[in-house]
Amino acid sequence: MIPSNMKGQNRMKRTVIALLLAILAAGSVYAIDPGQSELEYNGWFRYMNQSTKLDITNPTASRSLIERNYWRASHQWTSQLFSKLTLDFLSSSSYADGASVRIKEAYMDMALPMVKDFVLTAGMQKHYFSEIYSWDYTHPDKSLADAQGVCASADYGVTVNGFLPKGLGELQLGAYNGEGYKVTGAKNSIAPELLANLRLTPFAGVQVGASVFSKAKEIAPYANNKKGRNSDNTKFELGDTANMDRFAFSPMAKVAIGPVSLTGEYIMFDYTRKFSYYSLTKDSSGNVVDSTLKENSKDYAQSGIDLLPVVSLMSRKLEVFGRFSTWERKEQSGDSMPVNLAKSLTRYGAGFNWYFLRRAGGAKPAAMFQFAWVREQPRTEGADPVDTFMAQFRFEWNHVLSAL
Amino acid sequence: MKKLITIAAIAALALGTTLVARELMVKGSDTLLNLVQNLAEAFSAAQPDVTVSVTGGGSGVGINAIMSNETDIADASRSIKSKEISTARANGVNPTEYVIAIDGVCIIANASNPVEKLTIEQLGQIYQGKIANWNAVGGPNKKVSLYGRQPSSGTFVYVRDEAVKAEYAASMRQMNGNAQIVEGVKADEGGIGYVGVGYAREAGIKVLSLSKDGTNYYSPLDKASVDAGTYPLARPLFQYTNGKAKGDAKTFIEFELSAAGQKIVADQGFYPVTEGFQAKNEAKLQ
Repeated sequence: MIPSNMKGQNRMKRTVIALLLAILAAGSVYAIDPGQSELEYNGWFRYMNQSTKLDITNPTASRSLIERNYWRASHQWTSQLFSKLTLDFLSSSSYADGASVRIKEAYMDMALPMVKDFVLTAGMQKHYFSEIYSWDYTHPDKSLADAQGVCASADYGVTVNGFLPKGLGELQLGAYNGEGYKVTGAKNSIAPELLANLRLTPFAGVQVGASVFSKAKEIAPYANNKKGRNSDNTKFELGDTANMDRFAFSPMAKVAIGPVSLTGEYIMFDYTRKFSYYSLTKDSSGNVVDSTLKENSKDYAQSGIDLLPVVSLMSRKLEVFGRFSTWERKEQSGDSMPVNLAKSLTRYGAGFNWYFLRRAGGAKPAAMFQFAWVREQPRTEGADPVDTFMAQFRFEWNHVLSAL
Repeated sequence: MKKLITIAAIAALALGTTLVARELMVKGSDTLLNLVQNLAEAFSAAQPDVTVSVTGGGSGVGINAIMSNETDIADASRSIKSKEISTARANGVNPTEYVIAIDGVCIIANASNPVEKLTIEQLGQIYQGKIANWNAVGGPNKKVSLYGRQPSSGTFVYVRDEAVKAEYAASMRQMNGNAQIVEGVKADEGGIGYVGVGYAREAGIKVLSLSKDGTNYYSPLDKASVDAGTYPLARPLFQYTNGKAKGDAKTFIEFELSAAGQKIVADQGFYPVTEGFQAKNEAKLQ
């Protein structure tokens, strides 16, 4: 007869062993195997012509650029640990030599014990908001949230992300720095950005979901042009301006039937900008004798929709796409929120992709050509539309190196 | 005259359409490659108007191809992952699973080794490198030499996930195929390896029985234990289509599951589909 305390100890031992085995058997959500490395290159050579009212022979901008020049290296350390580094060697007239380098991804993944198909990711990673993170540039332009500055496509943070069972969809929960991948330094993380994203694929051909993020306060990305004394010496404006209570929500849906798909999303994005100033008291000679610190604020509310229909033809060698998007920006003025017509617009256009070659498995391109026309019509009365033509060659490859 | 030409043209078109071979694409698992190629040859002999093109690349390549609707049938020695189903559905693809054969992954040792059986736990510890001498499992005083597959192999993943339950020991020799593992173990008195059942019936090696509980041991050479699922390393081999199989894909899968097809499965060293899987397959083929 085994004493009851020994029975309890044996039971505890078995439970601990089972728990340890379950942790070790968390399994792999990764595409490469332990000991393998993957190298990937994405090179996009683009010509862009921008003009007013299709006057392409008199463009306001006409340039060639390397739109993207990603070098990626990833390594599967064990079946539970994975890391990736992506550097973007991009060209831009903003830089002295016409080129620079950015970190786009630098993170470590750890498969979560006992939660199948979920990982913890820490570092510079995708921003799982709206269509940003899943945007594959079927249309060569950016996703709506990226183009309108709602948020950056990558950011510093920690996320739990993974796939729901039986192919039901995916879920991401994250805490980010919230300033975007270009911002780092002493003023980071005044308040974290909290994010949640859910995508459901209940059956073939339908994907629905929504994402939301919230950040209490940013660092001050905007220079306050009014800083200093005003002309009648009654106010001294402080230079530090920070956005507060930033909140964005985006529901989306995608329908895919045979060669035709339609993706749509709605984005709403609100924040408040706080201003500080000293109200100055003058004497009869006009000298400032006293000052009182005051605060003011201004609310911003933005929203828009984006629709992307795509048709695949010729055994997926040719894709024809359209695009329609709107953006409206409202800014507080007194007690009302009038529309800022200069910053509100409608965009529409069309284009095509020709796939010379796809990578193994057929999902991603290896060599393709893209052409797109986008017309942007500001809502300001009498404003002329701006037409942009983009022609782009994309070269992409990846190579898996087995363990040496 | 014009009528005659029109009739002749229509007849030629109809005849041409009949005579032009239709192509059925099958892509994916290297474990299934030889088996499905043999099935395809037999199928095409009976259906000369259908050319079945079978390529490998791995289970992942096959599944990616079906997710992108780039192939008619994907071969896979592992089941499709939740992430892959979700991505496929978002692209309008409904991956539908069929089981066309059963594989019993065999643990082999050198024929001179007196050890006849192992528990799954012992097997795991051997492949983790924690049991480094055969005398710890009732064998001779001889160092254990590990033979396994390369990381891209579905069998590598399967044995790791089902038996080893941790990373393989760094000392494991990674071989490119079943035949290489057999040759390695044959020549190494301390060798242990894992191969598909079709490679296990060779002189110079022996197949070890396995047990989950240390009481009941089962051999992969015993079809009944593989069918019953009592052999711990029995695994189904899959094919996937976009939605229920239609047209030539349906006809080919029906052939694979027919008596003639399952005989080819057995001849290639795998086990025929069990009744349970067959019933599920038939429901999807209706």
